[in-house]
Amino acid sequence: MSTVIDAHNISKIYNKENIPVYAINNVHLHINQGEFTALVGPSGSGKTTLLNLIGGLDKPDEGKIEINGIDITAMSPNKLIDFRLRNIGFVFQSFNLIPVLTARENVEFIMQLQGINKTEREARIQTLFRQIGLEDKMDSRPSQLSGGQQQRVAVARALASKPQFVLADEPTANLDTASASNLLDIMALLNKEENITFIFSTHDARVIERARRVITLVDGRITSDTAKVDTHVQH
Amino acid sequence: MIFRIAWRNIWRNKIRSLVILLSVAIGLFAGIAVLALYKGMMNSRVRTVIYSETGHIQLHHKTFKNDYEARFVISNPEKLLQELRKNESVKQVATRTITQGMLATTTGSAGVQINGIDPAMENKVSGLLQKIRVGSGFEPGKKNQVLIGKKLADKMKLKPSSKLVLTFTDADGNIISAAFRVAAIYQSENTPMDERNVYVQQTELNPILNLGNGIHEIALILKQDTATHTVAKQLQQKYPDLLVEPWQNLSPETELMIDTVDITSYIIIGIILFALAFGIVNTMLMAILERTQEIGVMMALGMNRIRLFLLVFLETIFLTLIGTPIGLGIAWIVTSYYHRNGLNLESMGKEMMSNFGFSTLVYPEFPTEKLLGIMGIVLFTALASCIYPALKALRLRPIEALRK
Ligand SMILES: Nc1ncnc2c1ncn2[C@@H]1O[C@H](COP(=O)(O)OP(=O)(O)O)[C@@H](O)[C@H]1O
Ligand SMILES: [Mg+2]
Repeated sequence: MSTVIDAHNISKIYNKENIPVYAINNVHLHINQGEFTALVGPSGSGKTTLLNLIGGLDKPDEGKIEINGIDITAMSPNKLIDFRLRNIGFVFQSFNLIPVLTARENVEFIMQLQGINKTEREARIQTLFRQIGLEDKMDSRPSQLSGGQQQRVAVARALASKPQFVLADEPTANLDTASASNLLDIMALLNKEENITFIFSTHDARVIERARRVITLVDGRITSDTAKVDTHVQH
Repeated sequence: MIFRIAWRNIWRNKIRSLVILLSVAIGLFAGIAVLALYKGMMNSRVRTVIYSETGHIQLHHKTFKNDYEARFVISNPEKLLQELRKNESVKQVATRTITQGMLATTTGSAGVQINGIDPAMENKVSGLLQKIRVGSGFEPGKKNQVLIGKKLADKMKLKPSSKLVLTFTDADGNIISAAFRVAAIYQSENTPMDERNVYVQQTELNPILNLGNGIHEIALILKQDTATHTVAKQLQQKYPDLLVEPWQNLSPETELMIDTVDITSYIIIGIILFALAFGIVNTMLMAILERTQEIGVMMALGMNRIRLFLLVFLETIFLTLIGTPIGLGIAWIVTSYYHRNGLNLESMGKEMMSNFGFSTLVYPEFPTEKLLGIMGIVLFTALASCIYPALKALRLRPIEALRK
């Protein structure tokens, strides 16, 4: 089982000049290929900050983060942009999709940025939309989709670039129970069938239930890290 | 896909896009309108110079214009006139006898240029008789008649059939005075000229000047304006003893004015473009501010700075490219309307316009030759002014953009 994310002693400190706030405080994190991990904790505990750090959107003040053995904390901003494009999938809490593009175009856009050719893009779009169950909504604009449908398209988009892992920051926060459960089903299925690594933050108990590993953050520290016994890891 | 995003972004906030689009259109229209107006004014000024003041070309004795001495006549005028009339390029010919002198009435006096003319010939070259406002012009049988300009008439309180005395020097250097009667008062578009020039019949002036059939000036109207310089050169070669001058030399102030007006028009266009730039900078900044989150998402997902810059740039290009034909269209319609019907600028001050020798009725002309130039600068301004908003977008940090 290969390591995807390796974070050593990372800290993120806000407000350094006055009263320093440790949004992330000396965290070690090790994520393997194929994990389905939930990051939980109360609001303000540092979930978003941690996801931003391992997603290369932000830099730690201390420590270093390696993705597949590559130190992203030492990368220049321009290199990081390209690194994100090729290695990391993102699902945000809201405002995920580009409103002027259709669902299909939102997904295709990323692949186009990656320089994937038309035939391959088309094939991948078909697969992804089948997986998220929105084949009939491909040509809808985000405004014509429900919140749950939008998040499913966001998952498809995150996967379009065949990333090393997908980071999802409270992906179900704005969804009703049914949509949230449906989104989790899709994510779990993709994890199971395609061995895609998901790390998602949440404070929704029903979502936490679905995770196979639960990391709890309190005040920027990891206070517990528990793995559930599961059959999936064996293959 | 960036093209597609840029294109669709245009239609998101129609009002805002309309503002930019119309700024470009109006900027272009205003720029062209200014140029068209100036071109019309200049062309009409040039036509006035040629067809009512100097003609295309004038010929003088080499030294006549130094001091306007009556003795420096054009030699062999009959032969010369015959040759000029036969010249393919020449349409009309007029001869003038000229002397500088003094006009006096019982109440005052003024310095004038006395032009001895052949009324029929003169009319064909400078349209003098059409400029008569009061009185009937030279009447056959009456002696010592003079045409004076309105400005001079007002100043000297002269009316048709008023008496005046002209004093000047004859060919032998004697000072001569002769009494004349105002036959008519004329008015051209050039007030200073009206004030200076009085016209008498050549057949009467020549004996007084003791000149016989001598003349000082030949004015030519050509068949084509564009031939002026070539014909002037040819004539100069053919008649090396004469001074041959095109209208540009005869009316250097018109040349100067054309240059000045060019500069003025560029200043006005500069101001218009500044307003355009200001509008675009503001609207694009607003657009970017509104889309902070979206831009944050795109950057987070891996859209690099070059592509983001391109996105903002393309939006402006699209709007400019739509605005350009609209502006051109409006400019074309408006200019051709006024080109046909004339634009009355009397409200700008008839007095002022005619003091500078301008007609108040202007026929604007579409400045075809400057079109590419002005389109170029409008496009350049539009694109240059989206650079700042684009840089602003580039400076957004995705995590901050997403947090909002
Ligand atoms: N840009 C920032 N400036 C200052 N403090 C921040 C900033 N971003 C986050 N924080 C602080 O860091 C802590 C963790 O925030 P966050 O990672 O958003 O928590 P969570 O996602 O778990 O709700 C909070 O105390 C928050 O106030
Ligand atoms: Mg958060």
